[in-house]
Amino acid sequence: MHRFIRFSILLMGLFAASSSFSADVALEPLTTADDLGPAIEQPIEFPHNRHAGLRNPNDPSNSDPLKGGMEIDCMYCHTYARRGSVAGIPPLQKCIGCHQNIESVRETPRIKKLFEYWEAKKAVPWKKVHDLPDFVRFNHERHIKRFVFQQNRPVQEVCGACHGDVKTMTVARRQKSLAMGWCVSCHEKDHVVSVPGGMPVGSQAYWYGFKKPALNSAGVEVAKGPNDCSSCHY
Amino acid sequence: MSVSNLLENWAEFRHTHPVDDVPHDPYKWAMSIDLDACSGCNACSIACYAENNIPVVGKDKFEHGQVMHWMRIERYWPEDGREFPDQGATFLPMMCQQCEAAPCETVCPVGATNHTADGLNSQIYNRCVGSRYCSANCPFKVRYFNWYDYPTTENVWPAEMTQQLNPDITLRGKGVMEKCTFCVQRIRAGERAVKNEGRILRDGEVQTACQQVCPTGAITFGNLVDPESKVHQKWKAQQVELTADEQEKDKEEGGTDLRGYRILEELRPYPSVMYMERVRESAI
Repeated sequence: MHRFIRFSILLMGLFAASSSFSADVALEPLTTADDLGPAIEQPIEFPHNRHAGLRNPNDPSNSDPLKGGMEIDCMYCHTYARRGSVAGIPPLQKCIGCHQNIESVRETPRIKKLFEYWEAKKAVPWKKVHDLPDFVRFNHERHIKRFVFQQNRPVQEVCGACHGDVKTMTVARRQKSLAMGWCVSCHEKDHVVSVPGGMPVGSQAYWYGFKKPALNSAGVEVAKGPNDCSSCHY
Repeated sequence: MSVSNLLENWAEFRHTHPVDDVPHDPYKWAMSIDLDACSGCNACSIACYAENNIPVVGKDKFEHGQVMHWMRIERYWPEDGREFPDQGATFLPMMCQQCEAAPCETVCPVGATNHTADGLNSQIYNRCVGSRYCSANCPFKVRYFNWYDYPTTENVWPAEMTQQLNPDITLRGKGVMEKCTFCVQRIRAGERAVKNEGRILRDGEVQTACQQVCPTGAITFGNLVDPESKVHQKWKAQQVELTADEQEKDKEEGGTDLRGYRILEELRPYPSVMYMERVRESAI
């Protein structure tokens, strides 16, 4: 009897192991899939959706600020994204600069807490959500300059490519894996080069890739983005 | 070296070998050092320590051969029968020669040191496993190994001194090889700045730390492909060819008056640093 139970348990275990293995194989590759990071508790539960969200998700023409967000540009607060390698957390002055004039929410718990920090003259100890290892040199400026200012894409689309749909979140949470394979999945793509000689769309030079621009099967000149190891690791 | 090359074709390590049909475009970083101007003051070495977060290991570790000076000043004493006060040393700043066919690159088991499209011999710290094969194979002996975890070793960077570390470059941990990078962090910052303007770097926009501090201007750094650059003009004036393992001028009978030469050229690593021979007296 015992032997029979033991055998059936073994069978069940084998089945569970094989089924979980097949589930692993069926997962999408990490390089393209979203990869939800840990939920991070912030000192103030900052509502990104109220600040950056659409005015009224159901009916954009009917803008009722009480229902939707404020549609504030990401770079109004994360102002260093277009100027330097890090996007930056806004200083407390920036929060207060608006909120001292917004009486309607002045007495809500989160804003009260904000003003406590302000009166104590202390910076809000925000926690880092998108943290790269120290041996990676990611540069926000180049990505923003290229996709926002040269290709005129919407800011939220460009930021959202790596940060997810922040305008629907309260406290931001990492949505992508931010692993190297995931970065490279874009940088290894063939991008269209419009002008012969290496000055592609948005007058960007692709010379920095390992291979020079070449004609693809459709006869269009394409080149890869910078994907040299020492572009990011030094 | 890119990830795709690494995965697709291991043999494409030397994709930008000078004898290949892939020219350096638009950059080939190179250097020219005038030994006649070099006074052996060591400012370049100190600047390198400051710029690249190099640990100062102290006397004991120095004696064990664990010194980390990416740029070192080698001293040579001409044998002409004179003694020290009458005769001084001649100096030679020695750092990674950024060889085009680098002996270190081919032996790395993990591809942590490899060639970039702009002619640098890059060292990827996070890929390095510390086999030290590259250092053994380097004819110039310019690769340095982290025997200790210097960021946390006592007295290498006391608490307050961590504030003066350069944030633009990785702090290397224990078990990682490192070497001169031609100040790649400055090159990359310069490239980013000019990419925003849709142009390429002009001569003089990127300086290495050693070049910046050299009081006699002995070090010239720049883009060898750019015919307007100082380094290109110096290499041309000295008739030193990047892709040659023996210079044409040296084949002439009776030699030449030109001072330019590359160290250990005959081993065919195709170094990117040209030295200009010292002609003045070595007396102090």
